[in-house]
Amino acid sequence: MKTRLPDHGPVEAPRFWRTLEERVETPEARQAAHDEFLPGAVPAYDDVHGLPPQSGVSRRDFLGLVSAAAALAATVGCDRKGQGTVVPYTKRPVEVTPGVANYYASAFQEGRRVYPVLVKTREGRPIHLTGNDEHPGVRGKTSPRAMADVLRLYDPDRLRAPKAEGRTIGWAGAEARLQGALKEAKATGKPVLLLSGALASPSRKALLADLKAALPTLEHLAYEPAAGDAAEEAARASYGQSVAIQPRLAKAKVILSLGADFLNGEDPETLAAWGAQRRLKSAKEPINRLWVLEGPLTLTGTNADHRYPVAPSRLAAVAFALARELAAKGLSLPAGADLSAVSGGAPADVPAQAWANLVKDLQHAGRNAVVLCGAQMPAEAHQAAHLLNALLGSEAVALSPAEPLATTRDLEAAVQGMAAGRYAAAIFWDVNPAFTYARAAAWKDAVAKVPLRAWIGLMEDETAAQCQLVLPENHWLESWGDYTTPGAAVLQQPTVGTLYDTRQGEDVLLGLLKALGSAPAADYHTYLRARWEKAVLQGGTFEQALHDGLVKAEAKTVAPAFKGASVAAAAGRATRRTEGLELVLFPGFATLDGRHANNSWLQETPDPISKMTWDNPVAVSVQDAQTLGIQEGDFVTLTLEGTTLRLPAVIQPGQAMGVLALALGYGRTTGGVAKGVGANAYPFLGLDPATANVRPGARLAKAGGRKELSRTQSHHRMEGRDIVRSLTMDEFLHHPQGHHHKPELVSLYEEQKFPDHKWGMVIDLAACVGCSACVVACQSENNVPVVGAEQVAKGREMHWIRIDRYYEGELENPKVVHQPMLCQHCDSAPCENVCPVNATNHSPDGLNQMAYNRCVGTRYCANNCPYKVRRFNFLEYTAYKTEPETLAYNPEVTVRPRGVMEKCSFCVQRINDVKIRAKGEGRSILDGEVTTACMAGCPSDAIVFGDLKDPKSRIAQLVTATRAYRVLEEVGAKPAITYLADLKNPVAGGHHAN
Amino acid sequence: MRTDTSVHAVPIPEGLLEPALTVGKVTPGSLDDQVLAFPETKPPKQWYLALAVTLSALGVGVACIGYTFTTGIGAWGNSSPVFWAFDIINFVFWVGIGHAGTLISAILFLFRKRWRNAIARFAEAMTIFAVMCAVIFPLIHVGRPWLAYWLFPYPNERALWTNFRSPLLWDVFAVNTYFSVSLMFWYLGLIPDIASMRDRTTSKLRKTIYTVLALGWRGAASHWQHYEKAYLLLAGLATGLVLSVHSVVSFDFATSVVPGWHMTIFPPYFVAGAIFAGFSMVVIVLVVVRETMQLKNLITMRHLDVMNKVILAMSCIMAYSYMMEGFTAWYSMNEYLHHGFMNIITGTYGWAGWVTISCNIFIPQLLWFKKCRSSYFWMILVAIGVTIGMWFERFVIIVISLHQDYLPSAWRIYKPTMIDFGILLGTFGLFFTLVLIFARVLPVIATTEVKAILPDAQPSHGGSHE
Repeated sequence: MKTRLPDHGPVEAPRFWRTLEERVETPEARQAAHDEFLPGAVPAYDDVHGLPPQSGVSRRDFLGLVSAAAALAATVGCDRKGQGTVVPYTKRPVEVTPGVANYYASAFQEGRRVYPVLVKTREGRPIHLTGNDEHPGVRGKTSPRAMADVLRLYDPDRLRAPKAEGRTIGWAGAEARLQGALKEAKATGKPVLLLSGALASPSRKALLADLKAALPTLEHLAYEPAAGDAAEEAARASYGQSVAIQPRLAKAKVILSLGADFLNGEDPETLAAWGAQRRLKSAKEPINRLWVLEGPLTLTGTNADHRYPVAPSRLAAVAFALARELAAKGLSLPAGADLSAVSGGAPADVPAQAWANLVKDLQHAGRNAVVLCGAQMPAEAHQAAHLLNALLGSEAVALSPAEPLATTRDLEAAVQGMAAGRYAAAIFWDVNPAFTYARAAAWKDAVAKVPLRAWIGLMEDETAAQCQLVLPENHWLESWGDYTTPGAAVLQQPTVGTLYDTRQGEDVLLGLLKALGSAPAADYHTYLRARWEKAVLQGGTFEQALHDGLVKAEAKTVAPAFKGASVAAAAGRATRRTEGLELVLFPGFATLDGRHANNSWLQETPDPISKMTWDNPVAVSVQDAQTLGIQEGDFVTLTLEGTTLRLPAVIQPGQAMGVLALALGYGRTTGGVAKGVGANAYPFLGLDPATANVRPGARLAKAGGRKELSRTQSHHRMEGRDIVRSLTMDEFLHHPQGHHHKPELVSLYEEQKFPDHKWGMVIDLAACVGCSACVVACQSENNVPVVGAEQVAKGREMHWIRIDRYYEGELENPKVVHQPMLCQHCDSAPCENVCPVNATNHSPDGLNQMAYNRCVGTRYCANNCPYKVRRFNFLEYTAYKTEPETLAYNPEVTVRPRGVMEKCSFCVQRINDVKIRAKGEGRSILDGEVTTACMAGCPSDAIVFGDLKDPKSRIAQLVTATRAYRVLEEVGAKPAITYLADLKNPVAGGHHAN
Repeated sequence: MRTDTSVHAVPIPEGLLEPALTVGKVTPGSLDDQVLAFPETKPPKQWYLALAVTLSALGVGVACIGYTFTTGIGAWGNSSPVFWAFDIINFVFWVGIGHAGTLISAILFLFRKRWRNAIARFAEAMTIFAVMCAVIFPLIHVGRPWLAYWLFPYPNERALWTNFRSPLLWDVFAVNTYFSVSLMFWYLGLIPDIASMRDRTTSKLRKTIYTVLALGWRGAASHWQHYEKAYLLLAGLATGLVLSVHSVVSFDFATSVVPGWHMTIFPPYFVAGAIFAGFSMVVIVLVVVRETMQLKNLITMRHLDVMNKVILAMSCIMAYSYMMEGFTAWYSMNEYLHHGFMNIITGTYGWAGWVTISCNIFIPQLLWFKKCRSSYFWMILVAIGVTIGMWFERFVIIVISLHQDYLPSAWRIYKPTMIDFGILLGTFGLFFTLVLIFARVLPVIATTEVKAILPDAQPSHGGSHE
């Protein structure tokens, strides 16, 4: 702008002058003296139009532009990677305060199981899940797979818009096509097939009923390939209906598992009850006893007080013999139960003494005993378990009617229907039968004969590839829903807006309903809310229910009655023998039925038993491996009824001779993460629901070659070292410290002082079952990178907490112990004094800290760590990540680059969060207020974190327990983590775990 | 044979008389012509061929280091729990090789071992080259090599300081001191020879370079007086370093808590091992030098014989150290240490343990025989054996100790990658490239020092510096 001086009237003749013109006071000179700059130096703007004059760029503008260009050029060079624009909100979203987390109650469904969860969101992004602490069953705990499912929300493979024949189309077009097909089906009366997951939601059930009313030819099948057909089949036989079986371990004194893996982390309620029974302060408290008869070694088997390897095909015979024995001892058989087909006496599978003890144990415990059968075990074994529970009058198991699940028999009927051209349309909703159905080729041929195939799901899978219409679904964290759980009706609410152009499946169905002429609600939210206000809330507000995530209500159900008449037939079938090797197909720990196969957190979470990641090798018993000359990692060919698979083998101690175990859910052919990981075992599934997962007649042969196993633990014995202490109840009573002497530690240095707090942890090995929930919780909380199979095989996994698993005793049936191992935050940490740049040091509250920015990566600290819990970024594991993957990060934890050491921080961000809050409120930190992610995630409450300086804290009392010890105390590092010795409760005088 | 009876009142018995240190007729003039002529003549074809080979090896190493920089330490076989492997093995190996040079030039100088005069120059040069190879590893082995300078305590605006409790920091000082003192010592010794070359050369370029490097040396008595004093002082300094550097390197291990590292025997054991490995390397190089450069009259069989005796003595010390390791493992009743020792002889890497023991203990015993000490075949066999054995000794210490330490759950087998081997090859390439260049541009034998021990030298001085 032109600079004007204020006009002070006539200017007096200057005393000093620059030019003659000025001296003689020409008007031009007066003007020039008036102006600050000479003409041309400043643009003379057209005052009327506000435009610059025609003369072009002025000198001043030119200089300005040049300097701006130079500054810009310079800033281009200064640009730092990953630095974005920071713009404050012009309108702040409701409830979102930058830097402050919000928590929302919601729920996650996996098969028949429902997990009420609490979702932590930061700046609108869900980043971490825990159980809903308001729920009376789960009490703040959840499962590893539920916690990891937050990653699926940000999976880059998610479908972002509807597609038809592979081309992206809008929702309008997609819906029109689907609705047109259904209208036509309604007109012609041809059936429509709807295949979905298990029905656990009452609103969804109501919606399906509405749809069925509008389209009477709709055939709905609830398909859960991992649920175990045999369990469903047996329930129908024993109770005449589908039944949900929920153990009530709090009431159980004696538990007999027939291949049931109820401690595998899936069931937080059961794990909590187990932990409560096992966390003993003194040997005089009551403790339960777990007997396990199983083929493959399961997590439950590793926690048994007595475990015997028994082939799954033999379980029913053993269990019926047990029933006969108990009946002979005076327990009354249910009416109509005929056990005459069962031969008496102890079966050969269990040693005679153990058999007698087991019978006595069950008999004494009576209704406080429970028999649980693994979902994949043959139907007869289930029926025997049902009989035993009826016989014992067990109160430690809750039976309730459940929505039926489709078995392979139902699926086979549907396949034949499709092949015969029966269906006008088929909708596949959250199911992947093209992958999970045993006869994949037959499925493919059959499905091609359905005129319209529509698929609704999150990520395009094998089934989506066979459908014309591919409809993207919301992640459950973007959706509404509700569930019935024992003790509460649970609400599921969206915690984030939809990331892409997706809809929840129910809304698609509502659209169909509308097209078919009935319109119950505009959207599913309204539909669900209306139903809740009518049927669930009972005076409470919907907002309160949303806040709590649930409304407490015990579902009124009639426990199904056991049908004694079903026994005779089952007992007759129980005696059948198998030839060759017996292949047991079980859901993968990480993948379940394959739905989680694209989740890298889960793929890299080691299997709790084999410690395998990213693969499903076939597990072979020690004896069979010896006979067949198989070494760990050898490629083998597995053949069964004409299906052959080449895959690596692992030798599994404790696995029954003649049994092979193989996880389902691997070998997917779609998905950026899932594709090509492991081998697809579904073709081995049987078509007879009673024995679908236990297949006799398998053959195994060496195929040549060996695979480098991506295993996180390669040495499985403790070498006689005092690392995991395990006591029997007898030892606990008499020598709780065993023969171990507490080493006398002499230090030349002054003891470190902790003025305010001294954080520490206690891990109760008796309560820890090894389920690895802590591993996943930590991964999510601390942005722990995933490194992939090849890096894991090299020993470069990054988990801050790992579960060490050791075998002891004979390989055929070893005793197994688990030990969570994480940074011990030693007071005299060997890692600290060897770091040349002081990148790791001790905080005044007892934390061993890592300054990532300072770390140059000499790795000396990791060498000198006796616990080997330090993790090094050998390669760049994080920088290549882009949105949406990066949205899953916890913003409170630094993402570590290549070349930097990292390790457990005791969740220092959580400690500081509580510290700041307490300080703001002018109070001291309460005991239990700080929880680490592992502690919060631990379903059996085995991990306790707290302030050792607070004498009243829970941890301060636990560290003085008689079972307390520190790992490698003799090294003198003074770890801040105290372990409580594992407890086993074998029959007195008996050899434990055997 | 020559006698020194003129200085000593008591005649030295015949058997104790030092044999002549050179063979045949060597005069100061012929010596200059023989030694100082190399830089002025065109190298033979074989030299170029050898240089091509060593440069190729160096190129492989540079490429592998480049790949490591762009990829990360993950390019190597290092993993958990073997966080250190080839990187530190090679570092310790090369630092060890260097020790022979300093021992020969400094300690033997102080002990008035006149035979060292003929070989000191070459041995010292090898020290410098070996240390150059060694320092590569601490720099490239860190996760973020671009920040390796943080290991130096320098004042900075972040007020960050290094951790003086860390043995790695002691290493930084030890190796830097060692390199700088060795370089000064070597250069000081070179000055009179460079001056001679300056005076002999006719090439203008060479003359300029040698003039600058000779620092105005005119051979005046005052020059000699200062020179001798400085040489003595630096020899004294370097003597301490021979013992301290590898002791400090051993602290990297000895002060840790890793079973198999935490051993009080390590400092002397490391120093002995370093001298052992260094002498073997000197023997290998000297044999080649004396043959290809026609220096048989100056680097005599007696030199090699004496060197071989040192190797034999060091081998015996190594045998004792190995046995003490076993004894400590047994006597301490420390189960971790015991397990670690048994791993060396029976574990997965037991073969590496036996390679170490065979190469360092068994094979060198051949040197008890005069025939082996005077035969190229046998001495080279032993020397190469020791070089391999000492590399594997560091493999045993580092990899075997780390791969199975306290918690069996963390145990894992270590496998090196091609990049690891490439970098090792690259350092050999660098070492021999420098040796080859040195042999053609600087006097490989300290002529002024050898002149002092010629039979015609001043008898009153006994042929050595006073």
